[in-house]
Amino acid sequence: MNVAEIDEEATLAASSAFQSAPGTVVASAAALLSATLAACGGGGDSSGSGTGTGGGGGGGGGTGATPPTTADASRFLAQASMGASRAQIARVQAIGYAAWIDEQFALATSTTRWDALVAGGFSGPSFKNSESGFDASAWRKLLSSPDTLRQRVTLALSEIMVTSIDSLVGSGWKAFAAANYLDLLEANAFGNYRTLMQQVSTNTAMGMYLTFRASHKANPVTGSLPDENYARELMQLFTIGLVQLNLDGTPQMNAGAPIPTYALADITGLARIFTGWDFDLQGQTGAVASATPDFVRRPMIQYPANHELGASTFLGTTIPANTDGVTALRLSLDAIFAHANVAPFVSRQLIQRLVTSNPTPAFVARIATVFNNDGTGTKGNLAAVLKAILLDDEARSATVAAGVSAGKLREPMLRFAGWAQAWSATSPSNAWAIGDTSSASTRLGQSPLRSPSVFNFFRPGYVPPNSAIATAGLVAPEFQLNNESTVVGAVNYLQRAVSGTGVGDVAADYSSLLAFGDDAVALVNEINLVLAANQLSATTTTTISNAVATIAGGTDPKRLTRIYAALTLTVAAPEFTVLK
Amino acid sequence: MTINASRRAFLQRASALSLAGSAAPWALNLAAMGEAAAAGAPADYKALVCVFLYGGNDYGNTLVPYDTPSYNLYQGMRPTLAYSQAALAPTVLAPSIALPGARQYALAPELAPLLPLFTSNQMGVMLNVGTLIQPTTKTQYTNASVPLPPKLFSHNDQQSVWQSQAPEGAASGWGGRMGDLFIAGNGNATFTCVNVSGNAVFLSGDTAVQYQVSTSGPVAFNGIASPLFGSAACSSALQSLVTAPRTHLFEAEYTRVAKRSIDAGSVLTVALAGAPAIATAFPAGNALADQLKFVARMISTATTTNTKRQVFFVSITGFDTHDGLAQIHPGLLTTVSTALSAFYQSTVELGVQNQVTTFTASDFGRTLTADDGSDHGWGSMHFMLGGAVNGGRFYGTAPVVANGGPDDVGQGRLLPSTGVDQYAATLGKWFGISDTDLLTVLPNLGNYNASQRNLGFV
Repeated sequence: MNVAEIDEEATLAASSAFQSAPGTVVASAAALLSATLAACGGGGDSSGSGTGTGGGGGGGGGTGATPPTTADASRFLAQASMGASRAQIARVQAIGYAAWIDEQFALATSTTRWDALVAGGFSGPSFKNSESGFDASAWRKLLSSPDTLRQRVTLALSEIMVTSIDSLVGSGWKAFAAANYLDLLEANAFGNYRTLMQQVSTNTAMGMYLTFRASHKANPVTGSLPDENYARELMQLFTIGLVQLNLDGTPQMNAGAPIPTYALADITGLARIFTGWDFDLQGQTGAVASATPDFVRRPMIQYPANHELGASTFLGTTIPANTDGVTALRLSLDAIFAHANVAPFVSRQLIQRLVTSNPTPAFVARIATVFNNDGTGTKGNLAAVLKAILLDDEARSATVAAGVSAGKLREPMLRFAGWAQAWSATSPSNAWAIGDTSSASTRLGQSPLRSPSVFNFFRPGYVPPNSAIATAGLVAPEFQLNNESTVVGAVNYLQRAVSGTGVGDVAADYSSLLAFGDDAVALVNEINLVLAANQLSATTTTTISNAVATIAGGTDPKRLTRIYAALTLTVAAPEFTVLK
Repeated sequence: MTINASRRAFLQRASALSLAGSAAPWALNLAAMGEAAAAGAPADYKALVCVFLYGGNDYGNTLVPYDTPSYNLYQGMRPTLAYSQAALAPTVLAPSIALPGARQYALAPELAPLLPLFTSNQMGVMLNVGTLIQPTTKTQYTNASVPLPPKLFSHNDQQSVWQSQAPEGAASGWGGRMGDLFIAGNGNATFTCVNVSGNAVFLSGDTAVQYQVSTSGPVAFNGIASPLFGSAACSSALQSLVTAPRTHLFEAEYTRVAKRSIDAGSVLTVALAGAPAIATAFPAGNALADQLKFVARMISTATTTNTKRQVFFVSITGFDTHDGLAQIHPGLLTTVSTALSAFYQSTVELGVQNQVTTFTASDFGRTLTADDGSDHGWGSMHFMLGGAVNGGRFYGTAPVVANGGPDDVGQGRLLPSTGVDQYAATLGKWFGISDTDLLTVLPNLGNYNASQRNLGFV
């Protein structure tokens, strides 16, 4: 029934260690952008010049005269990277926030997940029906890639335009399809959102995940219509959302009710565009066509016989009859991208992923304005948007951060990565055998590209029931993952991780902490600064240091035990778990 | 709603206190109210178990039209997906009350494990139930002349509407609101609403919180259960850090959940250790069966924990069968039917089969027209199981099998003829909730005539 019929065999057990050549460098186009971006709205000069969100006194840095404090730099890195380290803190202090962002934009990318899989031997035929190597390829990037801002944004995008490896059904080569999807997000992390929409809409993983691969035009015999899955989620989740938004992200109301962005007829209309798309097998058929994973990496192509050629209408746009599928896709994505909702819808979620669960409408409006126009007349410039978010007064302000509802819960993957980045965790074998960390009771309850559904691990509007957060009328997306099992499971997992047990050979370099091993107060202060953005209260640091001091020091093994204990207590502490 | 429910619960407790005897002091305190409520609490035990089929179950290949005219229409609308009539013959349902128009249905062959429960009247079938604000005709739908459920056909929103009568972002669900009414009568409030599958608004009440527990039971902090890296002082620091009240709202929520986890976990772990093992064989490699087995284990501790009323939530994902329905859906149904069958048997083993009522729910039904898979729909077919269920028959109205017929809004997307509020009210009535309270628990129920609020299936 599908144009590109692929054999999928029973899942094979495969457990080879992940191997890859580290550090292969690819030139980055982002370097070319950075000079332009420095002049963008909300960009490098904004420190202290924000429109006022409650004082903003803690900003500093940027290109201004006063370098950020170590604590300010650590907090910035908790928002802008996969985790702070002493080296990154020093770098931020040395060059300021804006220049650090530019430097990150310009950094070369590291070995792709795809190439790492190939180097690890996972492109052999025995791996066709396996996920082997994927988790390692994803974790290696998150935990150790030098382009840490790009990784943070890639993670954020993977939680907006969601796919999930287990559901990439139809091609075999799930690990490669998933790896390629993350590589695609990474390649566009500082690019243009419209380009990202285009590439995602022809990506094989998305085609399988939201099932429009091999969708075909209406069948007059059965009355069946084209698959609506992607058309619906493209609008609902990836671009415009369900209700008309103001520039500041608040819903537009009519007679007390939000105004819907579309109706069922818009979905059935748009679904007609996503017909005729299927794998690019380059003319091959049968087992030969899928003998290697290469076809999974190629964008899907049009099979015109399956494409709906009648006129298609959605969102007030009509794609004329007899428009070829490639052109129809371009015109359709142009129409969606032109919707006024895209800027506030995407901007607000990016703010939530990086900085705070509850940005003020004014913050959203400032970022959406940059999304709509980066200063050069371009819409959708993600680099400009990201820079504007991270340099915004509301992101940098110490006054804002001191509020009782500031910030966000660090999702479990970021808690783990924060530790790994802080003390340069490595996998000496390069296997990064961390695996799937989804188990809620024994691991992190979350794992890269393993969301349970297209609605991500958590929804942007999630409100923890019966909570003070709910009473205050606030949202707390990451709390959707926080329950009686995960709250314990994650701490237990991190206890194992920080003590070098249970996460393959992934281990941190604690040489810098050993110097503090006989001084519990100094040890906890150092951990507080690097890992917790100095946000542990004096009471908490005292609680931890008093407890750690009961463990004898004097030798490196004993000092290490103190370090493990101090780290475990810190990652369990509410002041670390919630990033202000 | 919040104020009313709290006030109602308060009045219940106060009322229970007054029944408890004249010795009670006028100055109420929580402890006294707790004891008083226990005195007035239900004497028996009852549990509701919601089995949620995430993704929107394909009703057409779950409960299949079997009488020849209907079957032919079904087959014509999904020729590549339709079961053959011969394959359906062994699972044709023979209801105690025949459907009008000689309509017949068969269970999908993979649901065969449920057939004996239907035959022995322990399972009923709910026809074309779905989200509604009020009874709605096709004309009213077409003319949009009555309020319709918000955000129809959208997964996350219709999951939420099914569970809570409101789209995503709802603060409470009807399972939780039912739980609110019984917290006071339970020895440990935390065990009133128990979710063995994650997080669902269904189980959040105005006061009831959903206790989320794994299929292997409560998880303990390793660093508290045994000295953290050999240090008892570090263990005590850990306990203090994760349980202390906080000023920051997010930090406060984090420690509140952690404290509840520790407190409830210690009670439940002891209770589970003292409960006899469940002998009923549950299917292996079946995530839904794992969840339901744990529900059975929790039920087995109800006496120990002095729990009188419980609402459980379990779930299974994968029902969003846009593609490959013929390959995917049968396996899902096998998973569901074998798990439900084993669960029913385990309630028999525990002697509580008449006190546990299990029911299915899902985002929505799907289209009936289909080639490789089906799309998002609305009304669907569901099952109610348990010794108290008046089974062996259909409830509701059999929809005309059609694309654009009187009972569908196109492509066989069913316009529900029974609302979720009616379905829920029937369960709630059995659970022991008054007609008055049901109107609060189920905000749309008042839009139905009083005679239509109890469907009578349990």
